[in-house]
Amino acid sequence: MEAKEKRLIKKIKKGDHQAFAEMVDKYKNKVYVICFRMVGNKQEAEDLSQETFLRAYRYIGQYDMERKFSTWLFRIATNLSIDALRRRKPGVSLDAELPGTEGLALEAILPDNQASPDEKMVQNELETAVQKEIQRLPEKYRTAIVLKYLEDLSLKEISEIMDIPVATVKTRIHRGREQLRKYLIVLRGEKE
Amino acid sequence: MNCSEFKKYSLLIDKVLDGDASSKERGLLSKHLAGCATCRAHYAQLKDSMAMLNLLMTPELPIDFTKNVLEQIPKEKRRLFRRWTAKHPVLATMAVCAVPMSLAVFAANRQSASQAKNAKGIVLTKASR
Ligand SMILES: [Zn+2]
Repeated sequence: MEAKEKRLIKKIKKGDHQAFAEMVDKYKNKVYVICFRMVGNKQEAEDLSQETFLRAYRYIGQYDMERKFSTWLFRIATNLSIDALRRRKPGVSLDAELPGTEGLALEAILPDNQASPDEKMVQNELETAVQKEIQRLPEKYRTAIVLKYLEDLSLKEISEIMDIPVATVKTRIHRGREQLRKYLIVLRGEKE
Repeated sequence: MNCSEFKKYSLLIDKVLDGDASSKERGLLSKHLAGCATCRAHYAQLKDSMAMLNLLMTPELPIDFTKNVLEQIPKEKRRLFRRWTAKHPVLATMAVCAVPMSLAVFAANRQSASQAKNAKGIVLTKASR
C-alpha cells in the first residue's frame, strides 16, 4: 500500500475525522459503483455506500495494514449489497426481478413524443437495457462481472473480495459473460 | 451454421478474452475465426457484451455524501476526553456541571464533587450530573 494511504489509515485508527473524510472522498465513487450495479437502485445504493463507510470506520481496528485497503473496503460494499439482495428475495414479483430499474424503465416506457436528442435517447435505452441485463445475472456472476468490468479489478483482488479461488472467479466471469451475450442477442433479435 | 470444434474454440475464446492466451493461441483462434462464422459471431457477441458494460454511466452521488457520512460516526475524541477526565476529575466535573447548571447549583455540588475526587473520572462525571 502506498505510504500516503498508510498514514491516512493510521490517523483514522486514532479517530481522526478529517482523515476519514479524505478516505470517503477518495473511494466513495468506486463503492457507489459496486452498490449501484449490484442492487440497481440509486437510493438503496446510496444508503449501502453510506453503510459501507460507517462499517469501515467502526471496524477499522480489524483492518490489516499489510493488505490492500480498497480490497477490504470493496469487500464490505459487496457483502452489504449481497445481503440487501437476499433480504428482498421473498415475494418475488416481476418488478422485484428487475430491482431498481423503475426510474430507468420509466423513461423507456413513457411515450417520448417530444423532440429529445436522438443520441441521448439511444444512450438511455441502452443503459436501461444493460442495467436490466446485469440485474438478471445470478448474484455470484453479477458480483464477478461488476468487479471485473465496472471496477476494473484484477482477478486476484476479486478473489480476495469474494473469498473464492481465482479459478472460480474466472469461471464466474465466463458464465456471466456468456449470459450477457445471450441477453444481447435477444436484445438485437439475432439468432444464436 | 455449425462448428464441430465449438467447445474447444469457446474455451480458447475465453482464454483470449481473459488475456491469458499466448500469441500462438491467439494466432490459432484468428485462423479459425477466419473460416468459421459460428465462432466468429460468438466471439463478436462476447466482445460486444463487454463493450456494452463500458457504456454504462453511474449516477452521481449527492454532493454532501461525505458530510452525511461524517455526521453519523461517533463523536471524535471521546476516548481522549475520558483519558483527560481520569487525570483531572475535579476539572472535568466542573466542565460538565458548568454548562447545564446554574452557578448556584454548581456551588452546592462542589462539596460532593471534591469528596469523590479519588474515584475514576468517568464515574465521577456521571454521578455528579
Ligand atoms: Zn468454430
